[in-house]
Amino acid sequence: MAPSLSYREKTLYASLAAELVVYGPYFFLHQQNSVNKVAGMIIAIIVLQVVLQLVIAAFTRNRVTDERDRLIELRGYRAGYLMVASLMVIGLGMLWFHATVGQLRLDNPKIGLHFLSVFFGMLVIADITKTATQIVSYRRAL
Amino acid sequence: MPAIRNQIRELRGQREMTQQELADQVGVTRQTVIAMEQDKYSPSLETAFKVAIELGVPLEQCFQYDPHGKR
Repeated sequence: MAPSLSYREKTLYASLAAELVVYGPYFFLHQQNSVNKVAGMIIAIIVLQVVLQLVIAAFTRNRVTDERDRLIELRGYRAGYLMVASLMVIGLGMLWFHATVGQLRLDNPKIGLHFLSVFFGMLVIADITKTATQIVSYRRAL
Repeated sequence: MPAIRNQIRELRGQREMTQQELADQVGVTRQTVIAMEQDKYSPSLETAFKVAIELGVPLEQCFQYDPHGKR
């Protein structure tokens, strides 16, 4: 019998869709980022996630999770951690490089916002990596 | 060949039990039963015992270990 989507899998697809819908425009469409936009995006993703999870929970009869779900969840968190750690190392390396060649201008008034965007971007990429890894694990049966 | 193989599908078929029924009795999802039957997921020892008990057979009749199999 072909495996249908489990409750956890449905919530993962919803999370990924919400992440792409909210984060996509922020990173690819907005030319001028601001603290307000970051805050608005965080609120939007929370509201969207809650609504989607409520809808899925309402329409899913069997909401059992088991040891395989937990194993896949851990696998996703490991992938997300490796991604954020790798991006941190790359980011710090680039920061060090720019500081070394004298291109790092800390007197720029937008430097704080720039760092905020970069670190937030790292967290978003790590989160999407985590969710995508879990979906792939489910589709490969583990 | 996987390191741990099982006869869940055959034993379940003999008892005319559906995947969902076995899943409910063992306390796992139907997707986990499917993954086990396809030898794509090796369950914990506790779940393996529960499956064997529900199918009414000793553990070694339900699950087999091949030391030369792929982990």
